[in-house]
Amino acid sequence: MGLLSKKSQQVLKDPLMSNNPIAFQVLGICSALAVTVKMDTAIVMTLAVVFVLSMSNTIISLLRNFIPGRVRIIVMLAIIASLVILTDQVLQAYAYDMSKQLSVFVGLIITNCIVLGRAEAFAMQNSVGKAFLDGVGNALGYGIILIAVSFFREILGSGSILGFAVIPESFYSAGYENVGLMVLSPGAFIILGLIIWVQRLITKVEEEA
Amino acid sequence: MLEHYISLAVKAIFIENILLAYFLGMCSFLAISKKVETSIGLGLAVVFVLSITAPVNWFLHTYLLKEGALAWAGLPDLDLSYLNFIIFIATIAALVQLVEMIMDRFTPALYLSLGIFLPLIAVNCAILGGSLFLVERNYNLGESVVFGFGSGIGFFLAITTMAAIRHRLRYSNVPPALRGLGITMLLTGLLSMTFMAFSGIDL
Amino acid sequence: MRSNSYTLGFTTLVTIILGIMLSSAATLLKDRQQLNMELDIKKNILQALNISGQADVKLTAEEYQQMFSEKIRSYVIDKTGHRVDEMKPEDIDPKTMSGFYPVFEKVINNQTAGYAIPISGKGLWSTLYGYLALERDCKTVMGITFYKHGETPGLGGEIEKDWFTSNFVGKQIFDPTDKLVSIQIVKRTVDESSAEAYHQVDGISGATLTTKGMNIFIEQDLINYLPFFKLAHQTEEG
Repeated sequence: MGLLSKKSQQVLKDPLMSNNPIAFQVLGICSALAVTVKMDTAIVMTLAVVFVLSMSNTIISLLRNFIPGRVRIIVMLAIIASLVILTDQVLQAYAYDMSKQLSVFVGLIITNCIVLGRAEAFAMQNSVGKAFLDGVGNALGYGIILIAVSFFREILGSGSILGFAVIPESFYSAGYENVGLMVLSPGAFIILGLIIWVQRLITKVEEEA
Repeated sequence: MLEHYISLAVKAIFIENILLAYFLGMCSFLAISKKVETSIGLGLAVVFVLSITAPVNWFLHTYLLKEGALAWAGLPDLDLSYLNFIIFIATIAALVQLVEMIMDRFTPALYLSLGIFLPLIAVNCAILGGSLFLVERNYNLGESVVFGFGSGIGFFLAITTMAAIRHRLRYSNVPPALRGLGITMLLTGLLSMTFMAFSGIDL
Repeated sequence: MRSNSYTLGFTTLVTIILGIMLSSAATLLKDRQQLNMELDIKKNILQALNISGQADVKLTAEEYQQMFSEKIRSYVIDKTGHRVDEMKPEDIDPKTMSGFYPVFEKVINNQTAGYAIPISGKGLWSTLYGYLALERDCKTVMGITFYKHGETPGLGGEIEKDWFTSNFVGKQIFDPTDKLVSIQIVKRTVDESSAEAYHQVDGISGATLTTKGMNIFIEQDLINYLPFFKLAHQTEEG
């Protein structure tokens, strides 16, 4: 971290903890949950979001003085959509199995509110370097939640981490069973709800019901 | 044939609800489901926009983008399907704008009640998701219309139910840290679980 | 406020740049994607025929290609089950040609060791595509795989998982009187004491409609190959 100034560190670190996009900005949960059944898909999804968000922030920040105000949303959408298509094409060519599993959810990064939200709120006002860091930070903050949810869903639902069985055979013979609910969609909602609860207990943030 | 469409609609509304099984449209779901009236407004707007964008994007995909789709223009070998994402999102944004203008002109009352939700919808993943699913699942025109409409109704049902639950929630004593987002997620989990019961339906 | 011509010019420029970028990326990567798709199908055939081992065994693309060309003999049969030598499986266009079916035969030391046939049909949402492999007796299931589907992850999507597909291995598609009974995926788990257990497979909870669709199309596809199985079985015994 020595390379970065205090301010840059702040930009990168803020979204990771206290200002985490999922829990606090309530953004981008959409495309996040469907790929959290297994950790490997969640990790690839995180990488895809890191790439798209950092690149879109960088490009939009570079162009911020040239983009006409009236059409800025559509220009941003076009840039984001192109980056997503690029990601999808690369995945299809170099990680075919993964792209099959992620299917339409890569495409849905376009409508991930974080990407457009950061472009509009941060990249349009800040310099290229900061916008890039902001993109990486926000994408990682989102990724941490995504990976955390998938960690619990995989270990409870399938008894494995990244595909390796971690629950010993003796547990199963003693009557332990994988929680089938975790693989299904309610599992994702409940895990996410509990994560938000714990995070708020720690950070002591409260919200009106 | 009619049976086939009815069963597709039932699947989209109940069995694998676009919100509760696919997690699409969560952003607006979480933000808007605080009040019943606004939920109904957003729900209707989603039904409306999904029913329009699904068939329009179907046309674009089938006659412009799909591999061999440009055969009518003398370009049978062209495959533009990699442009799907960008064309779909542009179409959705344009259609939403168009719908907004038409409503403003001809049905000002409806515009006043739905109008504020329309811009929100352009970036609602349920809308883009609907279009992407119909490509992945190779639907024909009729199926796309039914699927778009059914998914919209499914979203409407989920968001109004949630709004009603959250309305009742005001009278209960929720742990402070769980208030708002946390309890809503847990409730959505329970709601999604009850919808799972529909998967036993025999069609 | 900038002028209209500037706005127009800017958007045109952005569109052109993005268009060039995307189309060149798509063209550059197209061959590789095509290759991946073909390789994926070969992988599935090899896996159904129990040649490459389980899904978690990772081999390189070359190893799969080599394995496929060494151990698989592919040909086309017609409605009566006879080989059509002038056609290859990749010539069949299911949209325009009916009555011709591809067969992928597993050959070990010049001996037939099994057959894989493509299966496809409607699940809950989408068309499922896969391969079903039978032992050389044309009665016992050797394996089943799915390489393409649009079912929900965690529900219908479980059809491609090992825990589900491994249940098929060893099941019979004919009853004791040699009548085709196909494979039947039941709700919940198979009652092992039942007389029907020899052709029944455990279901997937939450995916009743997907497996129901499978029951229908697997039987349909097996019926198409029935004459071929009879012929192959005769040569086997004769």
